[in-house]
Amino acid sequence: MKRNLFSRKQLAVPYIIFLLLFVVLPLFVVLYYGFTDQEGNLSFANFLAFFTNAKTIGTLLYSVVIGLLTTAVCLLLAYPVAYILAKGAYARRHAFLMVFVLPMWINFTLRITAMKEILTVLEGNLAYHPFFNTILCMVYDFLPFMIMPLFNTLTKLDNQYLEAAGDLGATRAQTFFKVVLPLSVPGIVSGVTMVFLPAMTNYVVLDMVYNSTYIMGSLIGSYFSAYDWHNGSVISLILLLLIAGVTLVSNRFSREQEARR
Amino acid sequence: MKSILCSMHNRRKRFSRMRTAVLGAALAAGALTGCESSGSDTIVLRVSNWEEYIDLGGWDQEDLIDLEDGTKILGKENLTREFEAWFFETYGKKVRVEYSTYGTNEELYNQLTLGDTYDLVCPSEYMIMKMMREDMLIPFSEDFYDTEKEHNYYAKGLSPYIKGVYDDLSIEGEVLSSYAAGYMWGTLGLVYNPEYVTQEQAAHWDLLLNEDFYRRITIKDSVRDAYFAAVSIANLDAITNPDFLNSPDYGERLSEILNATDQETVDAVENILSQAKDNVYSFETDSGKADLVTGKVVANQQWSGDAVYTMDQAEEDGVELCYSAPEEGTNLWFDGWVMLKDGIGQDEDKQLAAEAFINFLSRPDNVIRNMYYIGYTSVISGGDSDLIFQYADWCYGAGEDEEDTVEYPLGYFFSGDAEDGAYIITAAGDQARRQLYAQYPPLDVVERSVVMACFEEEDNARINRMWTNVRCFDILRFFGIEKK
Repeated sequence: MKRNLFSRKQLAVPYIIFLLLFVVLPLFVVLYYGFTDQEGNLSFANFLAFFTNAKTIGTLLYSVVIGLLTTAVCLLLAYPVAYILAKGAYARRHAFLMVFVLPMWINFTLRITAMKEILTVLEGNLAYHPFFNTILCMVYDFLPFMIMPLFNTLTKLDNQYLEAAGDLGATRAQTFFKVVLPLSVPGIVSGVTMVFLPAMTNYVVLDMVYNSTYIMGSLIGSYFSAYDWHNGSVISLILLLLIAGVTLVSNRFSREQEARR
Repeated sequence: MKSILCSMHNRRKRFSRMRTAVLGAALAAGALTGCESSGSDTIVLRVSNWEEYIDLGGWDQEDLIDLEDGTKILGKENLTREFEAWFFETYGKKVRVEYSTYGTNEELYNQLTLGDTYDLVCPSEYMIMKMMREDMLIPFSEDFYDTEKEHNYYAKGLSPYIKGVYDDLSIEGEVLSSYAAGYMWGTLGLVYNPEYVTQEQAAHWDLLLNEDFYRRITIKDSVRDAYFAAVSIANLDAITNPDFLNSPDYGERLSEILNATDQETVDAVENILSQAKDNVYSFETDSGKADLVTGKVVANQQWSGDAVYTMDQAEEDGVELCYSAPEEGTNLWFDGWVMLKDGIGQDEDKQLAAEAFINFLSRPDNVIRNMYYIGYTSVISGGDSDLIFQYADWCYGAGEDEEDTVEYPLGYFFSGDAEDGAYIITAAGDQARRQLYAQYPPLDVVERSVVMACFEEEDNARINRMWTNVRCFDILRFFGIEKK
C-alpha cells in the first residue's frame, strides 16, 4: 500500500497557486502604484507626502491609539476570564469557554447594530461619544480573539510550577507576577497580534458607530474612490511595514520567553 | 387626506413588490443563461445602471395604476425583457440586454478605466461631462432627435425645461444634449421633522451648523454634496440679498458662485465642514433614512428622490416629514444615458439598439412604471401624451372632500410655459412641503437651482484633499498647536 496518495510537493500546489495569484501578484501591483507618480515614473513623492502631512500622520496616530486602547482593554478583560476558566475547578470549563466565544458565531455587523441600539438608550445619543463607542465596539468585536489564545496557553501551564512557588514561600501575588504572567507571554503575544492590527484598520466599526474621523482603512478607501491609486497604495505599504514590524518584535519576544523556560 | 393615502398606499406596495420582483428577475436570469443561443444575428447590448433604478415588473393586481382617461398600467415583466420583445417587433432584429448595476459614479468610472466594457451607462451629470472631456462617449445619431418618427419617444417626450438645461450645458465646446439622454432628475435638499425643526430653519443650509440640533442632523458622506452645502453657507449673505436676487443675470451669477473652486472658497468650505463634523450626528451613506424615522435625527441632507422614499416610509410609521430645497440654492442633478465609444464603436446595430432602449424607457407608460417603482422623477414630460401629468395628478391630486388645498402649477416642466393653466395640480396643502414638492419642485426652487459642474482635475484634487483634511484626525488642534 502506498503511504501517501500525493507527495508533499503536490499537496502544496493549490495553496501556492492561490498565494501567487491573490497575495503576491496584488502586492506587486500595490508596490508599483506606491512607487510611481501619475505619469508612471519612479517616485518617492507619495511616501514623502504621507510623512509630511500633519493630517495623515494624525490619522496614523489615531489608528494606533485605537489599536492600542482596544488591545489593552481586551487584555485586561480577557486575562482574568481566561485564567479563571483555565485554572478554576470547573468540570465543564470548555462549556464555559463556549459562552465567551459564542458571540463570534454571530456576524459582527449584526452584533454592533444591536450594540448601537443599547448605547443609544444608555447614552441618549450615539454621536455624543464617538471615540468611546468606537473603543467599546472594537473590544466587543475582538474580545474572543484575546480570550482563546490566553486560555490555550494557561491550560497548558503546569500546576506544579504554582505549587513549587508556593512551597518556596512566594505569596499569591508573587506567584502570579513571577511565574504565571511570564509563562503566559506567548498567549499574550498571539492575542495582541490578533487584536491590535485588525483594530487599527477596521473602519466598518467607526462607520457603524458614526465616528466620522478617518482611520487608516478609510483613508485608503477615500484615495481609491478619488482614483488616486498611488497615495492609497503607499498607505497600504506603510501598514504592511507596520504589520511586519509588530510581528517581528512579538515573535522575538515570545521566542525569548520560550528560551527562558 | 386622499392624496396622501393614495400615494402611501401605492408606495407601500412598492416595497413588498420589490422582493418578489428581484426573485423573479433572478429566476429569469437563470432561465436565460440556460438557453443562451445567441447567434451572430442577435445584437448584445451591455447596459449598466444604478442599483434599483429600473422597473423589474412582477406587480400585483393591487398595484394597478388606473388613470383618469381609463389607461391602466401594470408592470408585468422586467422592462429590459419587454424591451427585447418590443425591439424585435419594431425593428425585426433580435437583441439581448446584458444588464448590470453599480453603486456610485466613481465605481462605474473605475470599472470602465479598469477594462470593463459597456455600451450604454447612466452616470450623473458631472460624470457625463468628465467622460465627454476624456472622449469616452459617442454622440447620438441625428435620427434620435427626429420628433417626426413614431418611436422617438425621448425626443418627443423630453420636458422642455430639462431640454433647455441640457442645451445650455457644454464642456470644451460640445453640448451635453448631443451625448446624453436624460433619465431621472431632482434637487438636493434637507428632509426634516417639522415637530422639531421649523420650516424657516430648514430653509437654509446652515441648519447643518445649528447647535440647537447638536448631534441630531446627518450630512451625506459624499464630497460633492457636502461641498455644495458648504459653499452655499459660505456665501449665504451674498446670494440671498435682494439686490443679488433681482439682478438680471441672477442664474448665471449664482451658478458661478456655487461652482467656485478657488483656494479661498475651498478653505472656507474646509472650515465650515470641520464645524459641521463637530455638530452633525454623522456623515452617512444609507442610515439617514432609518434614523429619521426612529427619531434619532431630526433632519438630513438628501436627494429629492430619496426624500420621497423617506417621507413615504416615515408616513407608514406615523411620522410626518417634510422636504426643503434651501433658499440659497439647490443642486439640480440628473442621471442620463450615454453611449460608450469602447462598447459601441462603429457598430450601427448596437447604436440603433442603444437608442431604441432609451426611447423604450421614455415611452410614457414605461416612464410611469419606472417612477412608480423607484420613486424618482423622470425627465420625460410626455410631449403630446398627457399620461405623465395624469399620473402626477393621480398621485398627488387632492380628494374632493379635502379642505386645505393648494394650486400647484407645473407648466414650466410639462409645457415650457410657467403660466400654462392646463398643468396645475390641486393638491393637499401639506404636499407643497412634502412628496409633491420633492418629486416636482415648484418654479421658484428650479429658478435657484444650479447644475454642479464637472471640476477641472486640479480643482478636484484640491477639493478631495480638503475633504480628507476634514475627515482626518487633526493632530495640531488636538495638541493646541496653532495653524499658520
